[in-house]
Amino acid sequence: MPYNVLIVDDSATMRALIRKILQISGFNLGQCFEGANGREALEILEQHWVDLVLSDIHMPEMDGTAFVTALKAHHLWRGIPVVMVSTEAREEVLAPFRRLGVEGFIRKPFRPETIRRQLSTLLGEVRTPDAGELEGCDF
Amino acid sequence: MLENLKAATFEVFEGMFFLFPELPLLEPPRWKGPGVRAWVPVNGPRQFCIGLTVPESLARKMAANFLGLGNQEPTPEQIQDVVREGANMVAGSFLAREGASAAFHLQPPRSQTLDLGAPHFRLNLNHLLFLVEEEEGLEVFLGKM
Repeated sequence: MPYNVLIVDDSATMRALIRKILQISGFNLGQCFEGANGREALEILEQHWVDLVLSDIHMPEMDGTAFVTALKAHHLWRGIPVVMVSTEAREEVLAPFRRLGVEGFIRKPFRPETIRRQLSTLLGEVRTPDAGELEGCDF
Repeated sequence: MLENLKAATFEVFEGMFFLFPELPLLEPPRWKGPGVRAWVPVNGPRQFCIGLTVPESLARKMAANFLGLGNQEPTPEQIQDVVREGANMVAGSFLAREGASAAFHLQPPRSQTLDLGAPHFRLNLNHLLFLVEEEEGLEVFLGKM
């Protein structure tokens, strides 16, 4: 079953990188949505079915804390697994996200395998890509 | 403090950009031509910023490696965005290594293009200078707001 993923990050290049990693890592990717901040992400959630959210913490307009708080408070969205992908490694900053029910953390800088492993743990369906699929990819 | 900044720089450049900065043993890097400076303001008990200055040629390599572009040229927007993201990752890694409390908030990164050969161009005072691929200069700095 393909999974629809929502990537939330104010950096367009970071969103492109994460999308590329999802595409080449063997993840069964359905539709891939992108938002530049929490407000845009909530608008996407209003209109589309999303199976997994990968979100940054520090973003303008609506940051990761406000976004995850809104998502986890919503009766339809609270069950969507959320993984924070951020430069933050300070436990003091991450602890409130654990309390909100965030399922995983990936710290930038990351390796593609780290994302693959996290998704595998969360969803259990990430296959190893064939060598041919990785041809031409620089990771 | 500078040891943590150095370790953060190595972690980010080696892990995300596949580039290997070295501390210059003899002469500091020469600065000329167009460049990009990106920095992350940090708010909290002390206001400061953490940033990078790189020649445009190095910024292009960072963008190409980061996005896996191969022979394709990165756009000017991608170049700026990647250098901002580099500064963001160095800042996050540095604060974690310093054990900074959550009272210090990372703000969205900013960037500007520079003429590194212009008479008014200045490097920052509290900084580390690296050589990347034997010829490219890289400045990683802690600055005042």
